[in-house]
Amino acid sequence: MSDTPIRTMGGFADARDHRHEALNSRTYGRALLAEARADPRIVCLGADLSQPTETFLFRDELPDRFFMMGIQEANMVGAAAGMARCGDVAFAHSFCVFITRRVYDQVAMQVAYPRLPVKLAGFIPGLTTPLGVSHQATDDIALMRALPNMTVIEPSGPEQVAAVVRAAVDHPGPVYLRMQVAAARPDETTPLQTFEIGRGHVLRHGEDVALLACGRMVEASLAAAARLADHGLSVTVANMASLKPYDTDLAVSLARRHRIVVTAENHSVIGGLGSMTAEALMLGGATPRFGMVGVQDVFAEGATTEYLAEQYGLTPNHIVQKVLSLHTL
Amino acid sequence: MRLNHYSLAELEARATALRRHVVRMVARLKIGYLQQGLGAADLFAALYFSELQLSETDPAWAERDRFILSTAHNTAVFYATMAERGLIPMTALDDYTVDGSPYEVNASERVGPLVEATCGSLGQGLSVAVGMALALRRKGSRARVYVVLGDGELQEGQVWEAALSAGGFGLDNLCMIIDRNFMQVEGHTDKVVTMDPIGAKFEAFGWAAEEIDGNDMSAIVTALDAARACRGKPYLIVARTLAGAGVDFLEGRLSHLARITPEDADRALARLEGAAS
Repeated sequence: MSDTPIRTMGGFADARDHRHEALNSRTYGRALLAEARADPRIVCLGADLSQPTETFLFRDELPDRFFMMGIQEANMVGAAAGMARCGDVAFAHSFCVFITRRVYDQVAMQVAYPRLPVKLAGFIPGLTTPLGVSHQATDDIALMRALPNMTVIEPSGPEQVAAVVRAAVDHPGPVYLRMQVAAARPDETTPLQTFEIGRGHVLRHGEDVALLACGRMVEASLAAAARLADHGLSVTVANMASLKPYDTDLAVSLARRHRIVVTAENHSVIGGLGSMTAEALMLGGATPRFGMVGVQDVFAEGATTEYLAEQYGLTPNHIVQKVLSLHTL
Repeated sequence: MRLNHYSLAELEARATALRRHVVRMVARLKIGYLQQGLGAADLFAALYFSELQLSETDPAWAERDRFILSTAHNTAVFYATMAERGLIPMTALDDYTVDGSPYEVNASERVGPLVEATCGSLGQGLSVAVGMALALRRKGSRARVYVVLGDGELQEGQVWEAALSAGGFGLDNLCMIIDRNFMQVEGHTDKVVTMDPIGAKFEAFGWAAEEIDGNDMSAIVTALDAARACRGKPYLIVARTLAGAGVDFLEGRLSHLARITPEDADRALARLEGAAS
């Protein structure tokens, strides 16, 4: 069995060994199943992607609460809303692009407007798949956070996914979860992370630079912080997994205590973490030197995640260079 | 509770009462969903006074039958029906489309739990109905789900996703009524997109289907009985309705948003008074 992380394949690698692992909560599929065992309101809807959305465990153990809708995301979202109106807590699954942009009007009218307990679980965030531009979600955070009543969450990785699923279940309204499918053997050495809607978490404390990141860019930011120490810069890193509601208090307070603030996201800088941070800082009266690392208003192409990160500016080195350019202004 | 003690003549009288409301409500606005309201009055009378199990005292009763008006804009007749059935106050009809009122042109759930979903963005109602039917079936509920679609609405792709899904899941607690009035904003539906044979299309998707005269009360009640008796399949009633039905000088006028003068409104009300007597 390969130890190669399957995230670079967009989730299509064989993930069967999940079933035989000891119970842990480092994968979305296990976390959701554990919640559903305890909460009979939880139902699971799929659009043909049980393996790459980690819902096969739910399918096999709780078949009466699992609904395979086929390749029809619009109908799935409407049906999830119908179930939610009958008392269910409906988790609907697809890739990030298809559970947001493809079904935007259905989500707006049937989920967000009525504030229903529908949880939209998306996989393949940003530029993490060789499947090409059709499968790359670089505007999903922007779209979903523009909807009233919607909560938007992107966990940093397997270490935070269980806490995020718990928060989504507990939250009475709609939630968009933006996640990367777990590696076949998730890294057990990273401590499990907590999560609270509306709160960011400082992972590392510094004095000169604050890096605000979400998703896989949290790890990249931690790596960048270590390298920036070599340049004599002391760096704070915050995991801003709660993208809406955003932790504006934390963002503003970090901006007041650091000369440089840089955001890092696996998403377009238009409408995502960079935009929401800029809005928060301007409205909060904080004026640090400010930069945004992320996809710069372009469509990408299918390639390995490493190649895409290099080409589209999503590596630790890109964060380092952005900070240094602001430092030497 | 189902009010199945009404005779056909009494249901027809109810439909006439609904038509009078529709004329008065639209006449006050001078323009509106007049022709559709008159055309669908018999369907609404049959649904709300013969078929749907609802509670006047508890609109959110868990075992109520669900009704979704997917087109959402045929609200003059919808609100008039709910008021006549005692589900909303009769004074609500005076607030129709008034600024700040929950009785908007397109029905929203601001009205209350009996607007089961906020539609109007066409093509979405059947999917919500599918979800409700799946959830109610899983819970062992006897409640049924009814959804009314416009015929033009069938041009939306999501309808066919939902149709495929309802047939595949064998949702016999789901009944769809297509208000076949041949009318859409652009004109006659057949001049926009040819849709016949509608019933055969749905049969191919795993539905039971029949086509009826949607202004024949006996045919409507009989079709709803057949839908309730059907096992293993969702049921489609293609109800051919006549735009402006019940008012001779309006009948057959295909106008998505019809204008009506105060004089014509008086004439229409006089015709409907005659029909009621």
